[in-house]
This record gives sequence, C-alpha cells and structure tokens, in this order.
Amino acid sequence: MSDWILGEFASEEKLLEAARELRAKGHAQVETYSPFPLRGASEAVGLRRSKIPALALFGGLSGATAAYLIQWFTNAVNWPINVGGRPPHSAPVFIPITFETGVLISAFFIFFGLWIILRLPQPYHPVFEVEAFRSASTDALWLSVESTNPSETEQLTNRLRGLGARQVSVVPEEP
Amino acid sequence: MQPAASADPLDPLPLIAGRQDSDSLTRIIFTPVWEKTRRGWWFLFLLGLAGTGLLTAAITVTFKEGIGSWGNNMPVAWAFGITDFVWWIGIGHAGTLISAILLLFQQKWRNSINRFAETMTLFAVMCAGMFPVLHLGRPWFAYWLVPYPNRMTIWPQFKSALPWDVVAVSTYFTVSLLFWYVGLVPDFASLRDASYSRLKRIVYGIFALGWRGSSRQWHHHKIAYLLLGGLATPLVVSVHTIVSFDFAISQLPGWHTTLFPPYFVAGAIFSGFAMVLTLIIPARRILGLEEIITLKHIDNMNKVVLATSMMVGYGYLMETFIGWYSADKYELFSVANRMFGPFAYMFWLLILCNVLAPQVFWSRKIRTNVVATWIVSILVNVGMWSERFVIVVVSLHRDFLPSSWAMYKPTWVDFGLLFGTISFFGTLFLLFLRFLPAISATETKELYKELSEEHAEATAA
Amino acid sequence: MSSSGSWPEPSGERQWRSIEEREGSAELRAALEREFPAGAAELSDGIDRRSFIQLLGASLAASAVGACTSAPAERILPYTRQPVGLTPGNPLHFATALSLGGRATGVLATSWEGRPTKLEGNPLHPSSQGSSGVFEQAALLQLYDPQRARLVKQRGTPRAWKTFLLDASLRLSASAKKDQGAGLRFLLEPNASPFVADFRTRMAQAYRNARFYGYDPLADDNGPRGVQLAFGQPSDVQWDFSKADVVVSLDGDFLQPPGPHLRHARAFSQRREPARLNRLYSIESTLTITGMMADHRLRLRPSEIQLFALELVQELVQQPGLSSLSGVSQASGQLARSEHLKWVKAVASDLARHRGRSIVIAGPSQPPIVHGLAHAINAVLGNLGQTLQLIRPVAGVESGVASLSALADEIKQGAVEMLVITARNPVYSAPADLDFGKRVASVPDSIYHGLYEDETWEKVQWGIPAAHPLETWSDARAHDGTVSIVQPLIAPLFNGIPEVELLASFLGVIDKSAHQILREFWIEHGPAAAFEQRWERWLADGFIANTASPSVQAALRPDSLISAIRDWVKEQQGQVRSTPDTLEVNFVGDYKVYDGRFANNAWLQELPNPITKVTWDNAALISPATARRLGLERDDVVLLQYRGRQIEAPVYVLPGHADDTVSLPLGYGRSGAESVARGVGFNAFALRHSAAPWFDRGLIVKKLSRKHKLAVTHDHWAMEGRDLAIQYAVERFEKEPNALEQLRGPTETLYNPVNFDREQYKWAMAIDLSRCIGCSACVVACQAENNIPVVGKVNVLKSREMHWLRIDRYFSGTLEDPAVITQPVACVHCEKAPCEYVCPVNATVHSDEGLNEMVYNRCVGTRYCSNNCPYKVRRFNYLHYTQNKPKSERMLMNPDVTVRARGVMEKCTYCVQRIERARIQSRIEGRAIRDGELTTACQQACPAQAITFGSLNDANSAVARLHRDQRRYDLLHELGTLPRTAYLARVKNPNPELA
Repeated sequence: MSDWILGEFASEEKLLEAARELRAKGHAQVETYSPFPLRGASEAVGLRRSKIPALALFGGLSGATAAYLIQWFTNAVNWPINVGGRPPHSAPVFIPITFETGVLISAFFIFFGLWIILRLPQPYHPVFEVEAFRSASTDALWLSVESTNPSETEQLTNRLRGLGARQVSVVPEEP
Repeated sequence: MQPAASADPLDPLPLIAGRQDSDSLTRIIFTPVWEKTRRGWWFLFLLGLAGTGLLTAAITVTFKEGIGSWGNNMPVAWAFGITDFVWWIGIGHAGTLISAILLLFQQKWRNSINRFAETMTLFAVMCAGMFPVLHLGRPWFAYWLVPYPNRMTIWPQFKSALPWDVVAVSTYFTVSLLFWYVGLVPDFASLRDASYSRLKRIVYGIFALGWRGSSRQWHHHKIAYLLLGGLATPLVVSVHTIVSFDFAISQLPGWHTTLFPPYFVAGAIFSGFAMVLTLIIPARRILGLEEIITLKHIDNMNKVVLATSMMVGYGYLMETFIGWYSADKYELFSVANRMFGPFAYMFWLLILCNVLAPQVFWSRKIRTNVVATWIVSILVNVGMWSERFVIVVVSLHRDFLPSSWAMYKPTWVDFGLLFGTISFFGTLFLLFLRFLPAISATETKELYKELSEEHAEATAA
Repeated sequence: MSSSGSWPEPSGERQWRSIEEREGSAELRAALEREFPAGAAELSDGIDRRSFIQLLGASLAASAVGACTSAPAERILPYTRQPVGLTPGNPLHFATALSLGGRATGVLATSWEGRPTKLEGNPLHPSSQGSSGVFEQAALLQLYDPQRARLVKQRGTPRAWKTFLLDASLRLSASAKKDQGAGLRFLLEPNASPFVADFRTRMAQAYRNARFYGYDPLADDNGPRGVQLAFGQPSDVQWDFSKADVVVSLDGDFLQPPGPHLRHARAFSQRREPARLNRLYSIESTLTITGMMADHRLRLRPSEIQLFALELVQELVQQPGLSSLSGVSQASGQLARSEHLKWVKAVASDLARHRGRSIVIAGPSQPPIVHGLAHAINAVLGNLGQTLQLIRPVAGVESGVASLSALADEIKQGAVEMLVITARNPVYSAPADLDFGKRVASVPDSIYHGLYEDETWEKVQWGIPAAHPLETWSDARAHDGTVSIVQPLIAPLFNGIPEVELLASFLGVIDKSAHQILREFWIEHGPAAAFEQRWERWLADGFIANTASPSVQAALRPDSLISAIRDWVKEQQGQVRSTPDTLEVNFVGDYKVYDGRFANNAWLQELPNPITKVTWDNAALISPATARRLGLERDDVVLLQYRGRQIEAPVYVLPGHADDTVSLPLGYGRSGAESVARGVGFNAFALRHSAAPWFDRGLIVKKLSRKHKLAVTHDHWAMEGRDLAIQYAVERFEKEPNALEQLRGPTETLYNPVNFDREQYKWAMAIDLSRCIGCSACVVACQAENNIPVVGKVNVLKSREMHWLRIDRYFSGTLEDPAVITQPVACVHCEKAPCEYVCPVNATVHSDEGLNEMVYNRCVGTRYCSNNCPYKVRRFNYLHYTQNKPKSERMLMNPDVTVRARGVMEKCTYCVQRIERARIQSRIEGRAIRDGELTTACQQACPAQAITFGSLNDANSAVARLHRDQRRYDLLHELGTLPRTAYLARVKNPNPELA
C-alpha cells in the first residue's frame, strides 16, 4: 500500500531544497512538478543521464544503412538496367536518400523512445486526484513523495510543511 | 520583478513587455483559445473555405481531364505546379529554421515565435506536398516512386532527383510534425489543467498524454526536444538542397548550375521569414499578443530578411556572371532571355521584390514599423514566387533548339491551384489560432524567468 | 482477303440497309431474308428488263450490307508471296495504285486480317520507286473517314442504288431514242484509265452527241500547249534529273505533285552529294520546296517570269552555237533591261557550259509561252533525249479550267440535260466567276459520284457515295503511261459505289461487279491466252510491264512559238505595269490538302506546312517588305479584293516571297458536310477567275482590325548562331574537309561509356541534309505507322502537337533572300541519354542494342525526361487523345504499336516493332538481319532517300558508312549525349559568277 503526499512551494529554491532534503532522508520516490523545466531539478531528484541520445544515434545509423542498402540492391543487384549509360551503383546519387532516411528513423527513435521511457500516454495518475494540482502545469511548483504506511504519511506531511510548503494534500491509496 | 528595457543597453527593445508572471503569461497566451469565436474569425474562415472549394474544383478537373487542363506544353512541361511546389517548400523552411537553428544558437527571441513558425511550416509543407502528386500524368500511380517489393521486381530509379524529393519532403514533414508535437505536449497539459469545460479537458487531456511536468519528464523531454532540433537543422538545409537538385542535376541552361543548393536554401529562409511576418503582424494585433511578440522580434526577423535578401541577390548576380563567364552560348542566351525575353517582366519583378524592396530594412525606423514591414513581407512572397517561375518556365520555354521554342499561358486551373492552396493554408492557420496556443506557454515562461534573472544580476552588479 | 469478318457499324444515326427496308416493302424484306433474291440465281434471257433491275437492285442493296456476312467472290493477290492461308498476326502486302491529277502512283498496302493499316510505295512502280508522298501516306485515313457519304440520295432523301439505276437508265434510254444523248455530259476526274478511255469511245458510239469534260483545278494544261508551241506536236515530257548538272526552274515546283514528284525527288537528291553535285536555279514567286533546295533563288512576281525566260533566251543566243534561238529571241524585240541582268547572264553561261546535261523546266502556272521557251532552250542545248524524253501523250481528257468553263457555258445555254460528275467536288473548286454551283443546280438531271456529301453533293439531284480507290477495282496509268490494275484492300465500308460500275451502268451494264467488268475489259484487250496467269502477275506486280508510252522524236519548230511571243509583245504594249497599290495575286496548290479533296484528313490538316509550318489553316503569303509597306504582320486579317470579289484571309509573312505579290493556297474554307474540313482556313477559289486562273495583277489588300491566330508549330526562324542544321558551299567543304571534326567523335566524360560493340546489332540512323527536301512525307508516314494521335488546332496553339518526327526549318541570311534548310528531328537515341537518368520509375531505359526505350505502362508522367531532353523530341499525352476514336478509325490502328492513353510520355522508337519483326524473320531463317532489309517508316517513305537506318556493328552497312562520312556531325555534340542519329551537313553549289 502507498499514499501520495503532495506539497506546493512558493519558490524554486524552496522546492529543490525540499527535494534534496527528502532524498537525503532516504525517500526514493521524490518528484518535483513545474510548468517549465527547472534548472537543477534532475540532480535534486537524482536522475541518471538520459538514454535518448544513444537511441537517436542508433536510429540514425540503422536508417542510413538500410536506405543505402535498399538503393544499392534495387538498382545495382536485383535488376541493374542501363540508365543513360550511368553506372548502376553510383554512390553520389545514393547519398541524399541515405541522409534523409537516417534523419527520419533517428527522429522516430527519439519520439517513440521518449514516450516509452516516460511510460506515456498515461491517462490516470494519483496526483491528478488533487484539484489544486492543476496549477502545476500553469504557474505553481509542486513536490510529490510516496509513503508506505500511515505513520510515514503523517510525518511526511509535517516535514513538507516544515520545509515551507504552502499547502500539503494527501492522496490515499484506495482500500 | 521587471525585465527592464535597460537589461541590454545595445538592445533597448524588450522581448517581453510589461510586468508579467507565469499566471499572466498563461492568460495572455490562452485567452485567444478560450474567448468566444469572433465575427472576424468567422469571416476569414468562410473566405478560406471558399478558396479551398476552388482548390477542390481545380484538383477534380486536373484528375478528370489530365494535365491538359493546365497551361503546360512542350517544351514547358513543368510550370505552375512545380513553381508552387518549390515556393511552398521554401515558405515551409522558416519554421524549422527558427525553432531548430535558433534553438541551437540559444537565441532567446525565438521562443515567442517558434510555435507560430513551426505550425506555418507544417501547413506550408502540406500545400507543397500536393503538387508532386497533382502534376503527375497518372497520379494514381504515384506510389511507384516508392520502393515496394513487387512480383516484377521493378524498382524506382534512384539516380533521378524525384525519389530524393519524395523522401526529403516526407521526412521533412514528419520530423517537423514530431518536433512540433513534442514541444506542444506540455502546453496541452496546461490547457487541460487551465480550462474549465469538461469537453476541453478531455480533448486537450488526450493530446497531453497525461503530462504532469514532473522533473523526470522534463529531464527526458528537454534532451529529446534539443535532439530533434539538432536533427531538424541539417534536415532543413538538406531538403531545399535536394529540391534544388531537381534542377541542378539536369543539363538545361538556367537549371544546370552548382550555385542552386545554397541559393535555394537562402531563398527558402528568405521567403519563410517573410511569410512568418505576413502572418504574425496581423495575428499579434488581433490576438493581443503585442506584449509577447514585441517589436524586437519583428526587428530581428527583418534583419534576417535583409541578410537573406542580399544572399539571393548575390545568387542572381552569380547566375548572370557565370552565364557570361562560362562562354557557353546556351547559358549566355538563357541569361539574356531572362532579362530581355518575353518573360522579362517576371525577372524584373523578382529583382524589385527580392533585392530592392528589402533594402529599406537598413533603416531601424522601418524595421520597427509594422505596416511597412508587412507590405515588404508580402512583396517578398510575390518576388519569391516569380523567382521560381523564372527558373522553371523561362528556362524551359527557350532551350537548345529554336525550332521547339514556345510560349506558356496558364489556365484558370493553374491559378485555382495557386490561390486554392493559399486559401487552404489560411484556413488551417485560422483553425490553429482558434484551438491551439499560438505561442509556446512553457518556453515563454522559461524565457521570462531567465530574463528576470538576467535583470536581477544586472541590477545586482 | 476482303472476306474479313465484321466491319464497323457506320457510327451515327440508326442505319437502314436500304430505303425499301426502312419503308418496309414486304416482298423486298422477304427477298432480303434470303441474301440473294430468288430468281437472281436462274436469270434467263427471257426475263424482262424492268423486273430484272428490281431484282438486281434488291440484291445490290442487300450485298451492300450482306457483304458483312458473305465475301464477294473476288480474288486479289498478295504481293511477292502467295499466302497458303492468312496467318493471323502476320500482315500481308498487296499492290495497288492511287491516282492524283490523272496519274497513278503504285503503292503496297499492309493488310492485317483484311484491314489495311499502312501504305508504302511500290518499289517496282516507275513513278513511286518504293517511296511515297504525304497524300499516299494519308490516303488510309480518308478510307476510314466516318464522315464519308454513306447513302445514295435523291435531293437529300435516301434511295436505293437500284432506284437510281432504274431512274438513270430510263432517262438514258429515253434520251438515246431522242437525240443520241445530246443533253448528256460527263465531268470526269482526270484519269488515263484504259477502261475509262474505252468507255468513252463506247459511249461515243452509243450516244453520238454525248460529251466528256475533265476537271482538276490544279491540272497542268499550259504544259502540253507549250510542247505544242515548241515542237508543233503533242507529247508528254519525261524529265530525268539524275542526268542534269544544271537545273533552271521557272516557277516549276517539280518536287511536288501534280507530276511524278517522287521520281523527280529521287533523281534530284541523288545529285546533291558532293561528288556529283548539280546546281539548281529556282526562279519563283512564293517559296516552294524546290526553292528551298535551290543553290540560287530569284524572287520574281509571277508575271515577270516570262520576261526572265525571254531575257534568258536573248542571253543564250549570244553563246556560241546557240544561234538557232535567234528567231525566238528577236520575236520578243528589245526588252527593258531588268535589274537581275547579272543573274540572267550567269544562268545563260552556266547552261551553255552544260549542253545535254541541263534542264530548263517551267511550272503549270506559267503560260504556254514560258513552257515553249523552256523547251526551245532544252532543244538547242541538246537536252532532248538526254535529260528529257518526249513520249506519246498518255491519253486523258483535257481537264484544266478552260474545259470547265466550256462546260459551264454549255449549261448556261441550256444544252445540258443530264450531267454526270465524277470529278472531285467541282462546285467548290471551280473559279468563282463560273458560278458553277448555280449552273449545276440548273441542270435538270445531275448526278454526283463523290466520297463526301460536299459542296457539289448539295447542288445535284442524285448523290452517289463513291467507293474509295482502296475499296474497289479499276485501272490507271502512271506518268509514263505504265498501266496499273487497282485492286481493293477491303470491301466498301460505307456502301460506296465503284466508279467503274457507275460508268458501266450508262452502257446498260448493271448486272456485273466492277471486278467482272474490269476483267472482261482486259480479256477483250489482249491475247486471250493464259489470261489468268497474266492477270495474277499484273496484280502481284502492281502494274502491267512494258505498257509505258513509247518515246517520240521531235525537233524544235519555233514558228508558232515566235508568233505567240509576237502577239504577247503586242498586247503588252497596251497594258501598264502593276501600280503599287494593286498587287499581284498568285494561286498555288496546297502541300497538305491539294485542291481541298484532302481537307477532311486530320493527319494532313495537322501536318505543319513544309514551308510556313502552319497547321489547320491556310494564309495569304506576302513578303516582309510588302508586309512592312502595308503595315501587316502575321495573324492580321486582310480583305482581299480582286475583280469585284472579295475574301478575308489571315496574313503570313514569308521570307523569300516575291514583293508586291500575294500567294493564296487553294483548298481550304470548305463548307461541305465534312466537319474536320469545315471552316478551316479561307476559300481562295472564291477569288479565282477563269480568265487568269493562276496569277494576275489588280489585287487590292485592305488591313482589317481583326486578328486570326495561326497555329504555327515552328515560330522561331533563326538558328541563333548555333551549329544545328549545317550547310555550306562545296568549295569550302573541299578546302577544309575536317571543318566538322569538333562536332563529332567522343567527348570528355567522367566514366567510360557503355560499350555496345559486342552486341549483335547497334542500331543507328543517318540523315543526309543534302538530300532532304523537307516534303514531310516522313512525318505522315511516322504518324500512320505509330498510331500517333491528332490533337486539333486548339492544342497545336498550346504547342502540344504529338508528331514524333518533326521537320525543323531554319532561315539564314536576309529576310528578303534567305537561305533555307530543313532538318528532320526525331529522338536521336543518345547513348548517354539525359532523359533516362531523370526518370524516377525506370520508364525510359536503354536497350542492349542502344535503343532509348519508352515503357508506356510504367510511365507515371512526371515529364522530367522531356525537360532534360535537349532535342525536345518527347511528346506527352496531355489529354486522352485516343479516347472516343470512331470505330472505323480504330480499324486503322497498327496492331504492332501500343495506342497510348492520357498522362503518358511517348517518342520515336526507331520503329522498334519493325526491328522485332525483322528479328523474328531472320531467326526463322537462321541468319542475321541483313543491311537494308529493315527500314523505318520515315526511311521507307522518304522520296529523297535522305534517311538511312541500320546497325553500326556491321562495318559495311550503309548507315555505318554514312557515320564515317566527312559530312557527318552530331546534333548538340558538345553536350556529350552520343546520339545514334547522325546528320550529314548539306552542301550547296553556288555559281561563282553570282558570288
């Protein structure tokens, strides 16, 4: 069983401070919410380097390779035809498509990679239970932390207040 | 906290005017989406629909009758169709350029206009994308340009620039769409959260994919967005390069020149920025976005227009010079024919619009005068269209053998397609303004924060 | 072979098989049930004429349609090989002949399962020698023309053929009893048919007072009179241009019909090669095909040409040994020395230097005196028997304008009761002053045997649909008198009646088919022995050997010529020279529609005029100077007033045209039922006057504000200093033999060209500009062979014409006296074809043997290939031109060639279908394709033999030799496309004295 404790903070500094504090206390599931990316937030909640660049590179290379092979196979291997007396396998003319396809596949990897890593689309999330949390996407700064038992919930609520949260609300997990 | 004009002494014009905070910015940006539909909007929208009707009519005739319903002939086998295609593609370049390249260069002023530009890109490329299919003699076989396994093992011929076009344009459209959407998701989230009607919440909610703005999401989103931008930058350059190959790889005087790739890209940026200006100037007024899209932006864009105008001007100069320097009688003739031939008026029109008109932007007064800017931007759009017309038609109508020379006369279908696509473009744009935030709320807020900090440091020092 | 299956239902309104059927006469329907009426089988002498005619009529009416199901029992024989049985998918070739201006040209028809699809010249026939002109090539489209007359009509109401026979024969028998046909007149299409000649004599016996006239508006009746003047005896002239070193043409367009123009072109072009180059002086008023070939061309008003001839004589007299002309030269007295004296002297001395090796020829439009003078000069130069032969006249009725006016007078005097017209549409083509339409209408009994319901048809009592020459049996004679049996390729498509049957019916022969009648005639006239064998040989050869008229000896007897000149000089003194405000009018036959008889032929209408490149129109031709003076430019509509009549015509400014002269091509502005021809161009016959049918002074030109857009396919005259169609003087060619070196041979390239030398064949073409006369026969031949659609004037105006092969025509030098050169251009099959590498779908690729192949069903129509083709020889189906073809015209399609649909690119294929047929044949016989065995359509038609096709891998092939020729060059060589079609530069032979 687990509850979600949400706290709204007035300023970035306080928010990040609280995040660091809680992690220091060994709470793994700390998350900050903001209408736009906050500098230092990733470090505050301790995120590792993103895998997306690696995906992009892989996608790009494989796309380019595939494109070149397709052109080479279709025009030079499977059915070579005398076209204007040009050599059937002429690398220069294969470059544009090779490049473009590389970009395309790479973009797909980034796009879908992003959603997979973030597990989106995700229609429901406990934090949406709190009406006030709506402000998170427009102008307010929020922090969420999970607790595993009522006592912990209790003490986390107080700690958040202590850390300067303007308002704290708890999303109890349904029985 | 107020990002005073004095934040940057060299640059008194503010990027965001007035005293703001995230909330007020949200309001400014979302108001156009929430407020009741205005009468003016309906008027323009119906106008757009009418034009789109014309487009549908023209397309129907083209498919039913064949290309014979156009003015094309021998030797002018390509005319309005390809001219429109290249023109639209060019326009479609500003968007990605602004969002991607300026993103990489960390140009702050980009943030308030990139959504605008990207959307324009998508719609422009949609219009452009129609023409390669429309102008086929047998459009129902368009898919033959794609390598799909078939029992006769007949494949496309990749030495032709047309398969390159297919891949380039579709890639460009797809990547721009992804880029646009990734940037849009957080705004969908805030729209979802900020709107009060249940329907809106559901609809925007669906597009928001359950975005919460958590640090984790931002963490990956930032890098993904940056990478897409990084990809889009070489893409944008390559796409128009490849479009220019359509002409450059041929041996027709006036087409067969290595100058084309850079010259086409410059032209694309040129026309793209011009189109952004044409759209943004009335939009910021009507939608009350003056505080976010300030004179500073217009000023900057005008500088880009001026710069690119000089580049294309240099292009025209080189074409002429090379025509003479090559000492090739056909090249020389095609240059002379452009300037003094039966279509000379198109050439001089493009010189007037693309080279002379933008020179007024040397004066800051005019750069910051919206009316003047708007007029010039429209002139540039006209100029760029005529440039493409000169390249496509005027090179073709008089080539090697004088026996096959001929004139070209467009039909109503040709004009129908040109103005039809323009209306279609406008219609889509009106819908965009109505249902999506024309400006990226997220990035504006981010920008505003950065500006305030700069200001704080500036004052601290 | 005409037993071929079903024919097209004549499209259009509901068809009835005969008027009686329509009106439902019971017994006739009963008769029709059984294809041939009872009784017709057991005809006995006892049967009375009347019932006989009824039966006959019924069966005729029946067979007109019944022929669908039953073959006429007539055998015609394939050329060269006898088919064991017709092999479906393999065409057969039959020899027959087509007549124009009363003289036959032998042709071979290609027939697919009884469906003729192509005509070629008959190699054995004297006036064809295997080549053909535009009219022969286009004849098939006329055969299949769905607008041809279909029904016998009496004043517009359909009747049965038998009803006509009944009517006519009754009247005839009546008039015969009365006065031996005093009121009976025939107006015949000029022909020298032995059968018709015999028919005339037999009619003369039966009806002593009947009379015959002939009419062809372009007939040459001045020529014979000229011969009469010079030699005092009638005879025909046979020219041999292959023997002539110097040719002087006095307005004589001898490379065009009427006349054996194919033979002339062949002989003349043989002499245009550097080794044996002749020299042609052309003195003419409008620019003609002959003029385009001339080494020296002098523009004169038509009326001045006679003066020129006289001056020439006066100059010649001063040459040693030509004094025998003195009589003639004195007759003309002292002539006002003209500005072109230098010219006359040069020509005279040149002629004097080439005695017995020169020709002076005059054109049909020039008066007899000019012809007389020409013959006199030929005689004293000793050309008789060398470069020209006099032969016994090939019989025929006199058929000039004079003969028609004589008939018109007779009608005026009411002497004519029954008029039978087989001439082609005389009401339209008669000089306006004869008012022939009204005359014909006034004849109580007029009968017109015509292909169309044209202007004449409207005026007559009886309209009889004529069977096309390719639908029926007849005979004809060539220019030299050689007889041809004309055999049908197909049974009449539109119920046409053979001329032979019509004529025979007037001799009461009404129970026989043309076939029977003709055979019987030839059995009578000739040894009865082994007739069948001879008959079959005649049909197989396409002509009857050794039937040419014998040559006759004649000496110059100038007395009548001299007196004629004297009379002329007298009347000249009376007249005044043309004043500036009145111009000279000059009527010329048209290169495309002749006298209007081909006006409904879309191929010819869309064929660019060889000189002006105008399609779907004729225009008043004037010189640039005159245009400037009158403030006219192309497309301006002018009002032409002459002898109280006036017409409106668009102007075409023609470089090299004589000043103060307006040339009016005849044959347009038709108003008949033919919808293709109707309203195309203006009718120049409406100005023509019987007193001066060819040219005259006193034309007044008024500019109107209107414009009429002419559809011109080749707008730009100059070559812009590019090396495209190259011609230069032979001296220069001898001085610098390698002048063309930089226009041929390999070019620098990044990668090695594909090597074709190991292939069995390496197809290539060579086109000799020295030989090409620009007659455009190849263009029509290509159209017929390759199912090329016609696009109509509107699309030609948008420059969307579809011709795979076009003839470029460039002027150089001054606008007034330009040098002209023609250059046939089709796909040159580049080894490094720019069109191929830009095609995104491999729709145009290269074959192993070097053909640039067009794959229609792969083409998606990007038109990129055309943009990248420097020769612009590709053609695009902008619309679905082949949709809604009339059923009859579908029969014309060549089954070996795909009919293209909308949205597809097409172009010259080097007649790949012919290559493949030859390949199949050679493989069957286990050998390689021989050089010369395979000809492309354009090559086969070309009368000048300017086009050569073959394999370069055979070093001895004709084409390989030409590719090694010193005159060889590649078009747009600098582009490095390595074209397989090579051009041979044209050499000119200018006279140093005129330099």
